[in-house]
Amino acid sequence: MIGSDSLNRRLLTWLLLPMAVVGALVLWQAWLDAHRTADRAFDRLLEASTLAIAEQTQWQENRLWLDLPPAALEMLATQHDERVFYSLVDAQGKVVTGNADLPGISRTTGTIDAPLTFRNIEWNGMPLRLGVRKARLENWSVREAYEVRVAHTREGRDALTWKLFRQSLAYLLALAALSIVALLVAIRLALAPLTRLRRHIRARDPRTLTPLELSLPRELAELRDTLNELLARMRRVKANQERFIGDASHQLRTPMAGLSARAELALRQNNPEAWREALLAMQDTSQKASRLAVQLLSLTRLGNPEYQPELVPTDLTNVAREAVKEHWPSCQRQGVDLGLEAPDIPVKVDAQDWQLAEVLANLIDNACRYGAHQVTVGVDANPPALWVKDDGPGIPAEQRLLMLRPFHRGSVLAEGFNRKTAEGSCPKTAEGSCPKTAEGSSLPSVEGSGLGLAIVDGIARSLGAQLVLEDASDAQPPGLSVELHFSPSTGSGRTS
Amino acid sequence: MNLLLVEDDALLASTLRDALTDSGHQVQYLGDGDAAYAALQNGHHFQLILLDLNLPGRTGLEVLEALRQHDRDTPVVILTARGAIEDRVKGLDLGADDYLAKPFSLEELEARIRALLRRSGATTQLSIGCLSFDSLAQRFTLNAETLALPPREQRLLAYLMRHAGQPVDKATLVEQAFGDDDAVGDNAIEVYIHRLRKRLAGHDISLRTVRGLGYVLETS
Repeated sequence: MIGSDSLNRRLLTWLLLPMAVVGALVLWQAWLDAHRTADRAFDRLLEASTLAIAEQTQWQENRLWLDLPPAALEMLATQHDERVFYSLVDAQGKVVTGNADLPGISRTTGTIDAPLTFRNIEWNGMPLRLGVRKARLENWSVREAYEVRVAHTREGRDALTWKLFRQSLAYLLALAALSIVALLVAIRLALAPLTRLRRHIRARDPRTLTPLELSLPRELAELRDTLNELLARMRRVKANQERFIGDASHQLRTPMAGLSARAELALRQNNPEAWREALLAMQDTSQKASRLAVQLLSLTRLGNPEYQPELVPTDLTNVAREAVKEHWPSCQRQGVDLGLEAPDIPVKVDAQDWQLAEVLANLIDNACRYGAHQVTVGVDANPPALWVKDDGPGIPAEQRLLMLRPFHRGSVLAEGFNRKTAEGSCPKTAEGSCPKTAEGSSLPSVEGSGLGLAIVDGIARSLGAQLVLEDASDAQPPGLSVELHFSPSTGSGRTS
Repeated sequence: MNLLLVEDDALLASTLRDALTDSGHQVQYLGDGDAAYAALQNGHHFQLILLDLNLPGRTGLEVLEALRQHDRDTPVVILTARGAIEDRVKGLDLGADDYLAKPFSLEELEARIRALLRRSGATTQLSIGCLSFDSLAQRFTLNAETLALPPREQRLLAYLMRHAGQPVDKATLVEQAFGDDDAVGDNAIEVYIHRLRKRLAGHDISLRTVRGLGYVLETS
């Protein structure tokens, strides 16, 4: 749960932060309230005290006279040992009597209608609460105005403020604690499906690719569905790979079995002529098997999504010329006339020269195997294209897509036009794949491995080139033309 | 000819050794990269090296790199099971002269060895069919008779002989015959080829046209 970035922590942070701010505001408000309440309570005492003093003020011997009632001051001295001060001031502002020379309050708004005013003052270094009452003698002969000033230190008020505030604080803290607990529980409950999903995934067998099946709230259900889509894609890839491995192992096992059987048979015989025949057959088979292994490797590498070669400007003319030079001797031995049709100028496309060489090697090899007498490697300048044409039997239009699939061999062609293979009638599924049966793979072995065009297709895809298969001519047989159409080189190279 | 064969597969090594010995080479055989490295570290007397890439100890590429530090001339043919053309480029970049992907036919290997030895000047006597060439004396003999040629034809034929059996493109031939003179077109070379053909006519070698590319000298 404790990580540099956890949902839990995020939720807690963003819920607790506003709560803390609100809590602080409420506390501030509570403090102000407590203060005001305490002042109001004590101001009543101050009022009572001034009133008591004012009532005892009389006119005697032509001057103001105060017979101070002890209760008037005592009511202000609570158990908090406050110090109480008072003074009686006449209309001229002269102190008549008192235990301190308390300052008055200059009235700006108050009138006789509001005889009592309160003020917090600082007097001789002490914070005091001062109450000033304006009064007038109600005698029939003398209507002398005077002021009663009473002040006391704040200990009692502060104590009461604190007491009130402490109560609010306790209440608020209890509320906060309750909220946090509720919050934690809520978060845990809200995140519980996530935990469930995590446990579910962790508990899975790493090899299984079956969809996740558990009910989740809507947001997580979307995640689950996305995961399931990914799993479905992986299942398709895996099925494809398994089919490929199955086919590959079958394809490699078959020539091995042939080799072994042929050797065994030859060893039973005593005829050097038979041995020679056997050796020739074995040489042929072993060559085919190793070519197959090489092609399987290329195809596997092309199928690896991690393998993204960097494309550089490459001259098609040069690639075609080198390919003709390289393959001419072997074509010559097979009685095939290999030629070149290329412009004298360089034709640049973004590619990998060795991949193009592999394309040409496979196409030339295919043409030779499938009965061509004349094979031409060509380059077109505008738009850039690399092609191989032959005068062999060609591929019927409806078979061409199938030919790009690994292990789909053109046995139809090698054995003449009158034979249909099991694969030829395979119904197309949504992904264009065709579930291969054991019978399908074990068709009588013909020359090709069934990988050549698949490799060409794979390379064309990785180079972003368009692969076109069509009849090379209107003649009979039509021959096959395989073309790779490129977009012109940007000159800077790119990654496929 | 003194050849070094570095190959760890026993069956392939013994087969190659026997085949090459039969065709007149002296073959020394080493089974791992460290031994090959030691043998090639200082002066050696091999005229050609056949090198496998996947070796116990040092890899073939390491051996090749070390060799090329002090010896740039001895031809090296890489033999490897790594079939991809990509690896071929790597080997050639490191200074290998040719590359054969396993499996290869013995015939092909022998042809490559012959071509490399011809090109490297290890042999001063080249011959194909009834035509032979003494590269020291710069003299052709056809059916034991001296064949006197004008300089351009001489250079052309010498180049074609060093690459006998391999197609050579016209641009290369133009360069061989005329140097870097750009003004000379492809047509000019056809004239010289025509003349050479006439001289070789009636013998067991011929100059064949490789459609769209150039020519190849081969036994007919």
